[in-house]
Amino acid sequence: MAPGQKMYPRATVKKIVKAHSKCNVSKNVDVMIFLDYVLFMQTLVKEASIDSKQAGERNISAKSIRKVTPDALSKFKG
Amino acid sequence: MANNDPNNPGPSRRGALAALSTPRMAATPNRQGIGGEPASGRPSASARRNNAAATPHARAAIRAMDQRRAALFTPGRARRRSLREQRETPRDLLRNLSRVLAPTSKLVSSSSSPDSSARDGDSTLPSFAEEDEGDDDDDFPIERPRFSLPLGPEEDDDDDLKPPRLSGFEEDNYTMQSIELPRARVIDNTIRSSLGSIRYSDYMGPDIRSDDAGIDSGFFPPATLDDSGEVIMEEPAIIERLDADEARRQTIGGDSVFGAIEIPDLGNESTFVMAPAQSPVRDPTITGGLAGLGSDNGPLYEVDDDDDDVNEPMDMPDFDIEDEPDNVAEDTAEDTAEDHISTIEETAQLRTAPLSRDRVIKRKKGKRISRHGIEYPSLPPNVVKRLATTFAKTAGSKGKISPDTLDAIMQATDWFFEQLGDDLSAYAQHAGRKTIDESDMITLMRRQRQTNASTTPFSLAQRHLPRELLQELRMPVPIPSKPPRKKSRHTVVEGEEQEEVT
Repeated sequence: MAPGQKMYPRATVKKIVKAHSKCNVSKNVDVMIFLDYVLFMQTLVKEASIDSKQAGERNISAKSIRKVTPDALSKFKG
Repeated sequence: MANNDPNNPGPSRRGALAALSTPRMAATPNRQGIGGEPASGRPSASARRNNAAATPHARAAIRAMDQRRAALFTPGRARRRSLREQRETPRDLLRNLSRVLAPTSKLVSSSSSPDSSARDGDSTLPSFAEEDEGDDDDDFPIERPRFSLPLGPEEDDDDDLKPPRLSGFEEDNYTMQSIELPRARVIDNTIRSSLGSIRYSDYMGPDIRSDDAGIDSGFFPPATLDDSGEVIMEEPAIIERLDADEARRQTIGGDSVFGAIEIPDLGNESTFVMAPAQSPVRDPTITGGLAGLGSDNGPLYEVDDDDDDVNEPMDMPDFDIEDEPDNVAEDTAEDTAEDHISTIEETAQLRTAPLSRDRVIKRKKGKRISRHGIEYPSLPPNVVKRLATTFAKTAGSKGKISPDTLDAIMQATDWFFEQLGDDLSAYAQHAGRKTIDESDMITLMRRQRQTNASTTPFSLAQRHLPRELLQELRMPVPIPSKPPRKKSRHTVVEGEEQEEVT
């Protein structure tokens, strides 16, 4: 998150949600959505790092992320 | 005779018991002849421990000691349960072994009682029954002959001590089973709710095109989800489906993006590569046709290309629309010729190397189609990677993220946004709106347990978002966040007004 850098493409997030929900997205909701996504990423990466450490890997492996993804998603199921 | 070998790895006490019985062996010449061979081998090893386990009480004491030792090695909490399980498992294994080996070992038991020898000769099955009966009924008729035998009496002694444990164990087993079931249910919930939709998203990405014939088809997939979910409720099927789905995910999940993208590539390459590559490949495939689980679009398309020259030009111009007929053709192709498919799959595997380049390139461009038939881009990977690295560093690892990992994260991201979109649309529609509002997002985060009395969305945003975004959050948040339900209705009304305006 470098200072001059844009945190995320707002329009893209809006498009994604709009496509999935088939609803319009009001003005500043995308910020909240992105906030939620950040939280999701946090839990996902945290769990994956724990899992990969247990597996004895230094870095986060794709396998551990795939393994953790369902849990993280179910955690963020509204 | 054969029983001796499997019994050896088991508790050594049995060997000791065998030694005890051996002197009697000498007394009865007839029985010696039958059981003599094992007895002669045993006593050397067993004699050492005979001294320790002379009496049944001593044996019981030794058992207790062993159990305590085992208890020390069992992990933490449910020691006693785990102990029971451990006790159970080796014995059950030994029992099963003995029963399996029973037909061969029966000769020994038969030797103890010459009367039963006729039965043993008849068939193996009655021999099993005899063993069971023998365990229960050992007290009266069978005891004497078995004492003479080395192995028989040992097992009998163990059985005498066992019965109380057996009853306990069986009960424990039932409870354990009952306990395990709810675990499966939990898994079901995850599957249904989040994963169910997710899977379909994965499949839908590539498959939607096949289904897309009418945009209305978007409504059908959820119905299939419900069906699958119901089916999943039933016990064993769950696991299988999960595994299968996971496998598909792994293949498709990574490849789903490719799957969609592959189509043009195949079309392009089909003209050049197809002719040389396929003809040699098919021959080996017929012999060893590994029908891959991921019989996906990619390989099938190749079939179409090969068989139908007409399809090739189709593939070139439009990817999305053209896929539909291709898929149909693929289905027919699958039904007709399995050999072709297997060959094609292999060819596809061979080609993956060259295709991968094109896939990467086209992936960026590649747009996916949501359930509602709307195209959407995926979040740019550099944004995702930046987020992931920062969180990975905070999580303690080095923060390097390999491209494979990034792929997996991107997949999770897509699933997340689909799930989120579904939830938000459900909330908005429940409120009678067609616009997703701040209140929807707040209820969603509350239901996700991300926000509660102590953590407001604003505090979360302060922690995770830069200031520019914070400022935009700050404006709307105070309105819906605090007011209880009365005002939420007002917000709903406002939302409707906004809809009208927009």
